[in-house]
Amino acid sequence: MKKDEAASYIVDLALRRGATDAVANIHDRQHIMIRFSNNEVTISKFYDELTVDIFLMIKRRRAATTIPFSSTRSLEKTVERLIKIARMTPPSELYAPLPEGPFSYDPKLLRGSKVSLNPDKLVGYVEEAINAALKEGAKKVAGTLNAFVERTVLATSGNVYASQERGALDISVRAFTSDISSGHFVSISGDEDEFNPSEAGRIAGEIAAAASNPKLGEPGRFTALLGPLVFADLISQVGILSSAFLVDIGQSFLVDKVGSQVACEKLSLIDDPTVAGSYGARAFDDEGVPTRRNVIIERGVLKRYLHNSMTAKKYGVETTGNAGLISPHPWNLIVEPGEKSFEDLLAEIDRGIYVTNDWYLRYQNYRTGDFSTIPRDGIFLIRDGSIESSVRELRISDNMLRILRNIRDLSRTRRWIKWWEVDVPTLTPYAVIEDLNFTKSTM
Amino acid sequence: MEDLIELAMNYAGSLGAEYAEARFQRDIQETVILKNGFPEAAVLEEKKGISIRVLVDGALGFASTDSLTRRDVKAASSRAFKMARASARIMHEKVSMDDSSLGNVKMEVKQRIGFDSVDIESKTSLLKEAYKRAVEEAAERNVKVPACSMTIDTWMTEKLVASSDGAYVYSLIPRAAFSMLMTAFHPQKGSAQRFFDLGGSGGWEIVERWSLPSLIEKEAETLSEILLSAGKSPSGKTDVILGPELVGLICHESSGHPSEADRILGREAAQAGETYLKKDSIGLRVGSRLVNVVDDPTLDGSFGFYLYDDEGVKARKRMLIKEGVINEFLHNRETASVFGVKSNGSARASAFDREPIVRMANTYLEPGDYSVEELLEDVKEGVYIRSFMEWNIDDRRFNQRYVGLEAYRISKGEIKERIRNPVLEVTTIGLWSSVDAVGRDLEFQAAYCGKGDPLQGIPVWVGGPHVRLRGVILGG
Repeated sequence: MKKDEAASYIVDLALRRGATDAVANIHDRQHIMIRFSNNEVTISKFYDELTVDIFLMIKRRRAATTIPFSSTRSLEKTVERLIKIARMTPPSELYAPLPEGPFSYDPKLLRGSKVSLNPDKLVGYVEEAINAALKEGAKKVAGTLNAFVERTVLATSGNVYASQERGALDISVRAFTSDISSGHFVSISGDEDEFNPSEAGRIAGEIAAAASNPKLGEPGRFTALLGPLVFADLISQVGILSSAFLVDIGQSFLVDKVGSQVACEKLSLIDDPTVAGSYGARAFDDEGVPTRRNVIIERGVLKRYLHNSMTAKKYGVETTGNAGLISPHPWNLIVEPGEKSFEDLLAEIDRGIYVTNDWYLRYQNYRTGDFSTIPRDGIFLIRDGSIESSVRELRISDNMLRILRNIRDLSRTRRWIKWWEVDVPTLTPYAVIEDLNFTKSTM
Repeated sequence: MEDLIELAMNYAGSLGAEYAEARFQRDIQETVILKNGFPEAAVLEEKKGISIRVLVDGALGFASTDSLTRRDVKAASSRAFKMARASARIMHEKVSMDDSSLGNVKMEVKQRIGFDSVDIESKTSLLKEAYKRAVEEAAERNVKVPACSMTIDTWMTEKLVASSDGAYVYSLIPRAAFSMLMTAFHPQKGSAQRFFDLGGSGGWEIVERWSLPSLIEKEAETLSEILLSAGKSPSGKTDVILGPELVGLICHESSGHPSEADRILGREAAQAGETYLKKDSIGLRVGSRLVNVVDDPTLDGSFGFYLYDDEGVKARKRMLIKEGVINEFLHNRETASVFGVKSNGSARASAFDREPIVRMANTYLEPGDYSVEELLEDVKEGVYIRSFMEWNIDDRRFNQRYVGLEAYRISKGEIKERIRNPVLEVTTIGLWSSVDAVGRDLEFQAAYCGKGDPLQGIPVWVGGPHVRLRGVILGG
């Protein structure tokens, strides 16, 4: 059976077998990843996958699967098995019928940009990034380049039949001037013309060079200037934990906060997959609902959670076009810019710390937002509005809501960030946070 | 399947690959989720396909396909070859595989109670019972459980690994796992949360052994008591007794990860990071003479169980730290070749479309001689930490932080009142050097270790006995 026919066939079959609602989502994806370290490629990988997600409901009884796309008989057997499982599954809390289409979608979002999967061309991007970092003084350079194209065909029992194409590139570059001096930066794009591996390498190299000879940092509360990699990590937590599913299971510091001032008035956060050409752009969600621009935080006030039809029914609102069939999630996060330049933000800090990257963020309590994360790569002491010296081995140990409220300023310059630590594409400025708590090892 | 594996390797060889390794892997997983007492959708997932990894001019290429036709398997071989050849132009140090002896075996972990014999309704009922008892237990203390998610996963991993230099290993390993995030809430006391995993290899009998309703009821009781009665944690210099849950995590984070040879070579530098250890760190003292950390994939029933790794090398126990001294690194065939040693069977891939990389399996501190009472009796003033929530460690695996959840003050050798969120923020060497007594008990806990790009989450056990740390500084 052809891929384009299979999605509707699966949905029709599920309905004939007794499902009240059904979704079939076929993903045809080719993905190249090139990993590099010590200024050379360590492995190049090509993934070719064709899978189908099937979700069905018999009123409050639900079952889902992901399997490789194969023969018609195999798909039929899977549907029949899923029906059987759904019948055996005890009923869920509530039943929300799938959203009723047909819907109209933005044609610009249905067509993906052209991304080359030519290995020689992609290795060339890696070379550009490595050479740019070395030119800035790096001794060794590591990272990952990804390029993918995918086509999705979706059919639902809510009269949805749609397909969309996507393609994107990203590169993550970490440059070292010594074992303890490094810098990191990325370039991500849904449009090959805007992809800039050299710039990612150059910035990583610049940070690594500036971070040479770091001294052990001292703990305490400081005004912190957070680079885009760090602020994207923090702010993507806000986006991810605004999922109504995660709120429901207590895995969020945004529980009971809709309508409340959760952040400084300078912060507005939007999930906007409707920006054509951006990395996380898409026309419809996993229920076929057209994606839309959702304001999560407006001038510091939490405006909404992100929903699929199931969570929306529970909360008595409309879906926000963020399905995930089980858990809704953000697609493409955008922080509204501030008005000042990076230099202005730096100049206004008398005594502080500039953090260029972080990783390993873990919560003590999701509900309260107590957490810690580890700054890595360039960390710099700021004195009287200038970078004074490089430091190392500090940890940010604070509370997410406190940090959001303590945002003093945001830059007008913004960067798109996505890498190993930041899963959701996020457009973010530099941020100045008052009174951020840094700790360090006691022995 | 054997013919497709042969085809993949032979075709890569005919293109000019110096080495080819093909792996068929099928993971069939069934997941039951209970959210706040109500079932979510039952989820079935099947991932299956073939991957091929080749060496061309000393460069590694990898390709995978989930289409098990001769045409698509040949296409995957061709892609792996092209990827390697394109990369070879920016290779300085050629990759090679060591000359480890390679397995030619079939192995299977038997289930005493097959997963097929337990239906979804029974699994859901088990979770509902556990949830009900947790809510009731908390309610007896006027504590609410406003949020609780519980998951049972059962899955079968079937692999066939073959290489052009002679590996041929078939394995079938069933695993079961449970995870939970529970929130306890009291209007005046706020909230406390507990997250943990259980897991093992085998059949449904593993889940039965956990006695989930009793276990979760006890967790709810403990969490409620923490919320209601835990006082401020002391800080400053004190003695600390760590329970097995924390000791296992510390072994994994600050001994297992730094010992991964691919990290030492910088292969993970841009993702999970590097390590404070160097190629020549064998023999370096990093802890007291009581510290013996091992990683052993061959533990029966363990979550990280395997007998042959994903390059076909026989698995064995690895002594990472022996009497406080770095003793051995974790190697696959590639890193072993660089270090001039033999692979110790540490190559694991999480799915058919992931390449094998250096991983831990079951990492733990070997038990010593002390009973828990003996550990306690020599502590004048101190802290006992049984469980944790927050933790992290820097990307050189040297500075780490663990925040206790269930914890108590110790006075004159006795466990006293509960304390809240003691913080242990220390260096790896500072921590291991402060170990002055090791318990003779041994417990394991399941975890999913994340490494690689794309991220490969793999099942592991972490474990150990109770240990006593002398004169550590609490607070961070």
